[in-house]
Amino acid sequence: MATEMMGLLKPISKIGYYGTTTRTILPQRVSTIIRMSAATTTATKGGGGGKNKKGIKETLLAPRFYTTDFDEMEQLFNTQMNKNLNEAEFEALLQEFKTDYNQTHFVRNKEFKEAADEMQGPLRQIFVEFLERSCTAEFSGFLLYKELGRRLKIFSLMSRDEARHAGFLNKGLSDFNLALDLGFLTKARKYTFFKPKFIFYATYLSEKIGYWRYITIYRHLKANPEYQVYPIFKYFENWCQDENRHGDFFSALMKAQPQFLNDWKAKLWARFFCLSVYVTMYLNDTQRTAFYEGIGLNTKEFDMHVIIETNRTTARIFPAVLDVENPEFKRKLDRMAEINSKILAIGETDDIPLVKNLKRIPHIAALVSELLAAYLMKPIESGSVDIAEMDPQLVY
Amino acid sequence: MSLMKSLGASAVVNLPTAAVTATQLHHHTHSFPFLSLPQHLPMLNSTTTSISWRTTTSVRKAVAAVDSSDTVEKEKESTKTYHFVVANAKFMLDEEEHFQEQLFERVRLFQERNMEQDFWLVIEPKFLDKFPNITKRLKRPAVALVSTNGTWIKFMKLRLDRVLLESFEAESVEEALASNPVDIKFEKPDKWVAPYPKYESGWWESFLLPTTQNQET
Repeated sequence: MATEMMGLLKPISKIGYYGTTTRTILPQRVSTIIRMSAATTTATKGGGGGKNKKGIKETLLAPRFYTTDFDEMEQLFNTQMNKNLNEAEFEALLQEFKTDYNQTHFVRNKEFKEAADEMQGPLRQIFVEFLERSCTAEFSGFLLYKELGRRLKIFSLMSRDEARHAGFLNKGLSDFNLALDLGFLTKARKYTFFKPKFIFYATYLSEKIGYWRYITIYRHLKANPEYQVYPIFKYFENWCQDENRHGDFFSALMKAQPQFLNDWKAKLWARFFCLSVYVTMYLNDTQRTAFYEGIGLNTKEFDMHVIIETNRTTARIFPAVLDVENPEFKRKLDRMAEINSKILAIGETDDIPLVKNLKRIPHIAALVSELLAAYLMKPIESGSVDIAEMDPQLVY
Repeated sequence: MSLMKSLGASAVVNLPTAAVTATQLHHHTHSFPFLSLPQHLPMLNSTTTSISWRTTTSVRKAVAAVDSSDTVEKEKESTKTYHFVVANAKFMLDEEEHFQEQLFERVRLFQERNMEQDFWLVIEPKFLDKFPNITKRLKRPAVALVSTNGTWIKFMKLRLDRVLLESFEAESVEEALASNPVDIKFEKPDKWVAPYPKYESGWWESFLLPTTQNQET
């Protein structure tokens, strides 16, 4: 159950969070085919059975795609029914999206292929996985926004950005002679249903944490160019501004729905989503330290920085956030990461499934207990000054 | 754009809205269907549920002001509306690092599209004297982001949140952006845990109106 909760937000998050459940789902048939892209090394690789099948490698991803209650979503946008809609604010957002800052940004050059060819050994593998996961994450954002865009036009502008990002990452895979079959992904997708309110919380966090991950990697690599192993990171500075703007859109949406922000239930949900997103990232990243170390980052320090900054940003809108700067919070995360490793290790053994499940029980109980303790830590009251009771004492 | 092909997502980029350039937007003063429903969705009754998004009066005024900067200026040299968000200097120039990224991004955009810059930073602006309700809630020194594009300032208010928004009329940019000189220095943060260095202090200088000494000489 705990892992389920943590897996909840993975697919709409940015830069490839690696779902904790991914490994265990691997044996399923719902797979994404990674094709060798046509013109490249297929012939030379030889071996195996067929000639053209030769280069085909199957990778299984377990992406979750989201759907929501479109009627309800539409009602939320109806000016007659929702008096809280701040038209000027949405107008401003729409203009900002239409401006399309990155219209000509995502142009590749020779460096990509050269860097990919130079990358060998385990790092190459890690990179391919990073690109796959990131591409899938962006693509799932694209699908959700595109679906919403059918009814609410502004979402189409966000899906434009996500599609561009996913396409760029997929082009990156072609440097490694691979391509994600997104058409197949689209057809084989399984929808998870979320009420609009939860889409708002989850997507807001996902966009903002995405911004902080991208910009942190970008700025780190700018300061330490010796780790700049693949040119895609150079695009992150402009790229992540898209994510940040998308987050602003959900911020405006939530402001137009005060019931999502102003009561005790909203505070509980806000904390729940913060915790889900932060823990998911932490557990996933600590399982993939090779990637972060490969680009010269300390995984845990990177994650904590991203969590703290995202939390500060989120405090501008969510009615409550977690006290992530309390050292106890990190201690809890570290304990969770440790328990998670044990759970994953059980999955790697040769035991029969029943035995594995039995062995996992105490660890899952421990994880749930850590999660609950983290959830119950004294929160920080927060919120937008636009909707907070206008405190005349507030100084800007 | 060719990236889109691999996604089979051409429908998305073909939206008319996506093709509108920023230059065109400047002249686009009237309401448009913000969240309008595509005609081909039959299950929706367009009269009752359609969601038209009309600009409010204030925005229309704001955008009209922007228009005048491009087109009407020669005919009639009159006052323009300047919109601003303001907060203390520490917040604007030191703490909110994404703010700096946004400003540089916007400069890049304006250069790419040959648009004249219509936004500035002002340290300790003189126009604040007109707003006692703001100044009594403001830590000093204060820094304002000022633009003739009110729609964008509205967006910046949404982004920065901890800022106050207002507008005023002025006859020239120099008048609008007049400021009281003050030295801005920030203490180095006592603990800096980010895996990258902080942005260099002074980044804001390129966003100030060229100094008054220059204009006098």
